[in-house]
Amino acid sequence: MATNQTAHADEHAHGDHRPSPYNPLRWLFSTNHKDIGTMYLIFAIIAGVIGGAMSGLIRWELAEPGVQIFWGMADAGNLGTDKLFSVQMPDGSHKAIFGNEHGYNVMVTMHGLIMIFFMVMPAMIGGFGNWFVPLMIGAPDMAFPRMNNISFWLLPVAFALATISMLVPGGSMGQGFGGGWTLYAPLSTSQQLHGGPSMDLLILSLHIAGISSILGAINFIVTIFNMRAPGMTLHRMPLFVWSILVTVWLLLLSLPVLAGAITMLLTDRNFGTNFFNAAGGGDPVMYQHLFWFFGHPEVYILILPGFGIVSQIVSTFSKKPVFGYLGMAYAMVSIGVIGFIVWAHHMYTVGMGLELEAYFVAATMIIAVPTGIKIFSWIATMWGGSIDLKVPMLWAIGFIFLFTLGGVTGVVLANSGIDTVLHDTYYVVAHFHYVLSMGAVFAIFAGFYYWLPKMSGLKYSGLLGGLHFWIFFVGVNIIFFPQHFLGLQGMPRRYADYPDGFAYWNYVSSIGYAITAVGALVFFYMLLDMFVLRRRKLETAENASPWGEGATTLEWTLSSPPPFHQFNELPVVAEEKHH
Amino acid sequence: MAMSPNTPQNIRWVAICVAIVGGMLAIALNAAPLYDAFCKVTGFGGTTQTATKAPGVVLDQTIEIRFDVNVPPGTPLEFKTGQTSETLKIGETGLAHFTVRNLSDRPVKAIASYNVTPHTTGLYFQKLQCFCFEDMVFQPGQTLDLPVIYFIDPDIVKNRDTRDVHTITLSYTYYQQADG
Repeated sequence: MATNQTAHADEHAHGDHRPSPYNPLRWLFSTNHKDIGTMYLIFAIIAGVIGGAMSGLIRWELAEPGVQIFWGMADAGNLGTDKLFSVQMPDGSHKAIFGNEHGYNVMVTMHGLIMIFFMVMPAMIGGFGNWFVPLMIGAPDMAFPRMNNISFWLLPVAFALATISMLVPGGSMGQGFGGGWTLYAPLSTSQQLHGGPSMDLLILSLHIAGISSILGAINFIVTIFNMRAPGMTLHRMPLFVWSILVTVWLLLLSLPVLAGAITMLLTDRNFGTNFFNAAGGGDPVMYQHLFWFFGHPEVYILILPGFGIVSQIVSTFSKKPVFGYLGMAYAMVSIGVIGFIVWAHHMYTVGMGLELEAYFVAATMIIAVPTGIKIFSWIATMWGGSIDLKVPMLWAIGFIFLFTLGGVTGVVLANSGIDTVLHDTYYVVAHFHYVLSMGAVFAIFAGFYYWLPKMSGLKYSGLLGGLHFWIFFVGVNIIFFPQHFLGLQGMPRRYADYPDGFAYWNYVSSIGYAITAVGALVFFYMLLDMFVLRRRKLETAENASPWGEGATTLEWTLSSPPPFHQFNELPVVAEEKHH
Repeated sequence: MAMSPNTPQNIRWVAICVAIVGGMLAIALNAAPLYDAFCKVTGFGGTTQTATKAPGVVLDQTIEIRFDVNVPPGTPLEFKTGQTSETLKIGETGLAHFTVRNLSDRPVKAIASYNVTPHTTGLYFQKLQCFCFEDMVFQPGQTLDLPVIYFIDPDIVKNRDTRDVHTITLSYTYYQQADG
């Protein structure tokens, strides 16, 4: 590792002209990658709380058979007095705040979209990517700092449009769009079911979020290709930088396809085109192809930065370089490439030819090979290492375990024969929550606990962090493991109610949500304790690198928090001393 | 340190990225004709084929063709088929009759759309004459007899996906057009 004495010497000189955090213009006009990264992280936390609260309503509704919260269909006269979330109207009747079963579907739809576009992506790419890609490659900032500002500020706009979309008329069934995060035609184009402005606002929201991500992707590509410090060759870049590089290429190639598909939805809805309308010679299945050509790379976009984060953490807390560095980097590249040729495994039930299905089954299963390389390399990194089970390491090991479990059910679902049975059941819900709700989210928490002292210069309570981890770990498993059973028994997704036979495991699953919510409270108490109650600064000796000798990437050569402008003199990365 | 972002290398990569985004967007927005061409060539999604003459070969193997007709709810048309199924030899030319009656007291403009299941047989369902994807106007109370002349391409027995298919369902839907 190139030590960077100059940056240390500079930190109290001109590098540290940090404007006041209470000046709103600092944030509004920010061109500083660390400030923008911080805004992304705060935005992701807010969106995560909203999306998490929505999943709370979903689990509340599903806690027992019958309709609990979304009872709007039954609101005749005073029936609503003893119902949950009942509000009295001026004429004395009672209405359900959250509407009817359509309201439930809106919740499910928006939970998915918010968690994907406004929580995981901003946290991983915008937040950690902005903060640590320039630091790790020895760059003073991103290549286009002003474009970086636009990338961030488009997101709250997109989020506002998505929120308004939930409040305006969606169609004959009530407010909001309830057709699922995939926005499948013809449900999303039907004037009868979703004729209101809700779907149009959602399309606009996704367009703007997409533009934000594409601008961010271009910024990362240029930064990583052109702004690496002397000696920082591509094959010496930390794996987190590699993961962001692959991710932003996926964004660049897949997001325009989503933009095209939802533009066609927009014209089908408003301008009389028939792209997806069978009555006019169009084909709704074409929408599915377009959507999943974007959608499958998108799920790798959500998880790849997590792979990078976990690689850094496992190496740091095992005090060993990552096992098989090049294999790890190119495993991510090949996951990215294969991610573009497996999309139809999301739509086995549309009636493809057997040989086409066989291709998609085989291609999908091949993804397990590079993924397996990553899992085994993480284990091999830990093997024989001097393992320190600090909070970030707990989350990283939790990630490896739970992501592998989700990967195993993914291989099951890759089989078209089995998928025909399990398609759109809770088995699928369990699968993608194991890889995303536990995979991606655990990786985000791992990265957060890993880099929080670096970003803030403060210490957090390891006890609270550990408590957060263990409550979360138990909670999410109790939520999602029983959903495998429900799916295997045939419980379909996206219904507000279910037969009595599914009651037991749904109840267990909802208890799991309550446990997880307690874990989230511990997380916020940990933040309160860290930033307000105790506010302990890192000691001088461990200021640059609180994690000791295992933390070898460039960000640990700087002070904590890093100077407002770093690397005035570029660090030189020596051979043999990288990643 | 002030570093201008507009160095030639940076601009070059931005240009490459913008070209990629533009290219992907162009492909996506032209998906309809591309997908259409793909379906016609491969019979994907049960897209049937059109032929100009019957095949020379008739196999000594029969296949059952079932006929399904429907209209979306609220369409003022009665759509019937003259036969629920027909069994013929593979390669032999078949004739199916359909009748459409306008139940309303005003002209109805409608368009027919169809496909076959299993979808994989689309490539082998050859139509010599049909009514499809053309606007038709039905006068009040009018009844029209619409024939379909078709044959099953003998190559169907050579494809692993379709050689075990013994029943093909042809499904027609009549959609009312907005201005009719």
